[in-house]
Amino acid sequence: MTGSSPSTGNLMTRPLALVALLVSTLLIAAAYVGALVAAVVPVWAPWALMIGTSTVMLATMVLGASRAGASIGRLTVPFAAMFLVLLIGFGAVLIMPAETASSPLWFGLPARAAVVLYGVGVLPLFVLPIAYAVTFDSLTLSEADLERVRAARRERMAA
Amino acid sequence: MIQSTALPPLAQPIIVGVAVAYFAVVAAIGAWATRRTRTASDFFVAGQGIGLWALAIASMAATLSGFAFIGGPGLVYTVGIGAVFIILPVSLTNAMGAWVLAKRMRLLAEVRDMITVPDAIGARYRSRLAQGLAAVAILIAVVGYMATNVLALGLVIDAIFGVGLAWGIWIGTLITLAYSVSGGILAGVYTDVFQGSLMALASVLVFVYVLEAGSGLSGISRTILGADPGFLGPWGKLTPLAALSFFFVFGLGSLGQPHVVHKFYMLRDPRRLKWYPLIMTVALFVTLLLYVGVGLAVKSLVVTGAMPALGRPDDATPTFLLRFTPLLLAALVFSGVAAAIMSTVNSFMSIGAAALTHDLPVAFGRRVGNELRWGRISTVVISVIASLVAQASGSLVAFLGIFGWGLFASTLVPALAIGLNWQGATRAGAVASIATGIVVTLVFETLAYFKVYAFPAGVTVSGLSLVASVLVFLVVSYLTRASEGAAIDADIRLVMEV
Repeated sequence: MTGSSPSTGNLMTRPLALVALLVSTLLIAAAYVGALVAAVVPVWAPWALMIGTSTVMLATMVLGASRAGASIGRLTVPFAAMFLVLLIGFGAVLIMPAETASSPLWFGLPARAAVVLYGVGVLPLFVLPIAYAVTFDSLTLSEADLERVRAARRERMAA
Repeated sequence: MIQSTALPPLAQPIIVGVAVAYFAVVAAIGAWATRRTRTASDFFVAGQGIGLWALAIASMAATLSGFAFIGGPGLVYTVGIGAVFIILPVSLTNAMGAWVLAKRMRLLAEVRDMITVPDAIGARYRSRLAQGLAAVAILIAVVGYMATNVLALGLVIDAIFGVGLAWGIWIGTLITLAYSVSGGILAGVYTDVFQGSLMALASVLVFVYVLEAGSGLSGISRTILGADPGFLGPWGKLTPLAALSFFFVFGLGSLGQPHVVHKFYMLRDPRRLKWYPLIMTVALFVTLLLYVGVGLAVKSLVVTGAMPALGRPDDATPTFLLRFTPLLLAALVFSGVAAAIMSTVNSFMSIGAAALTHDLPVAFGRRVGNELRWGRISTVVISVIASLVAQASGSLVAFLGIFGWGLFASTLVPALAIGLNWQGATRAGAVASIATGIVVTLVFETLAYFKVYAFPAGVTVSGLSLVASVLVFLVVSYLTRASEGAAIDADIRLVMEV
């Protein structure tokens, strides 16, 4: 690990991410089952699918970004931001009123479509890939990490 | 999901000329790559020697099939904003893929000589059964996916050269096969770079004409809102459940697409992954402008009477191009469509051949003598089978194509994407989840195809099978955790920990 390695001492990051993955997958399953067994899709089913999907994406990212025995450090902020964008974006369009012919446009689109396309579809583009690049050396893969992996190969070949 | 009906005739000198020039460039790249392909590693993973830009653009090109240019805009024209939920996760999925898979896959290739995605599963769980099952799932999905793409390629070639669909399929297969067999994935990657650049350029230029034809995005929206406000609602003509289901399946499912994941092995320097999500995401975003733009513009033009209503949704892009863009740009896009399809087919040829030549023999405890030669032979065999299937029946091909994405997702997301990031995952969990993905996808897609059972709107087999395989993976791994305490090799464990 380098001097700028991820913050250590947090052994709960991956277990928490796994629990979140399990619970959110169950939520998605509940949405599907609710739609399958009812004559009409229940009102809560889209909400369950929306919350489940947003959480599945977050939990999977946290699982991938965390290292054994370490937290995700500075990535907490962009991950939380992405999660809120998904929850607020999808939640907003589920409750906002439908547009009419004279409804105002937001950057060329009706309000709810703009929230979906610009909010959920475009906003994370300016957050996640940049967060990945900015934290890559300290939280993802340093020269020291790579050297450890290459040393492991040399040991294996020698054995 | 790609277009499955005939396109309007495009046999005009400029379009034919651009298409011929395009195929000549592809052939030249193939000839160059052939001289550099000497080993099985060159053939299957480009000798681990490609750069960052090549990785990102080639991955983008492999991700997008002809659906992005033909079927997608047609779907937007039909169901409105709801169709965008298929591509909406793009701003998230590449960064997610980088965190979850890119580093670990590339480091696996650093500690072991891996050439396939099932290789990673086999090494992670020390299980030939898991590797073999993953290979079977990939082979089934590859043949179906390839058949749909080869059919689409045949339609494009028929529309441009007027040779008939049957000959279009064989000509398209032979062109793709020519550079894939000789130059392997190395030829595939560099033709993908050319093809991906072409797709991005064509998409941006078409989007400019979209805005001009519709008097800007505001003009398009105002026109559509006046006639059909629901079309521009957040879900379009879909239900909220259906649109959100697209987001889930194409979001989380992106982690299980072997033709993209496989390319992580090929990067020369693992530390160059730093900029991969940004380049890949921007490239995809730019290339998908056509998907959204043309669908909305055509709807608006039909509302104003500037275009007649389309007989078939798949005519949206060809009709718009021939009426509202210069012929040279239309020619570029039609070559871009062929490019999108060929780059996807080439990737499937490579992973299918690797599954047949490498993974299945390994699953039975054997190795083929000359993987390079057998890789080339397998590429031909898989391509011929896919082309014969494509010739057989439109509805059969559509059926085979439907479950490709879902089969990849449900069999690979749990065992590969989650399993490489969770040391508590077990061999039994991996085998059970892959088997669940195969069975649920095949059984329910078949029931739906034969109309034995119809799912309510919003519930898809892809979504159900992905949920089922993830849950089975988590639960079985938890239940068998004690019996498989330390079943991870030290070097693999290190890759999972850094």
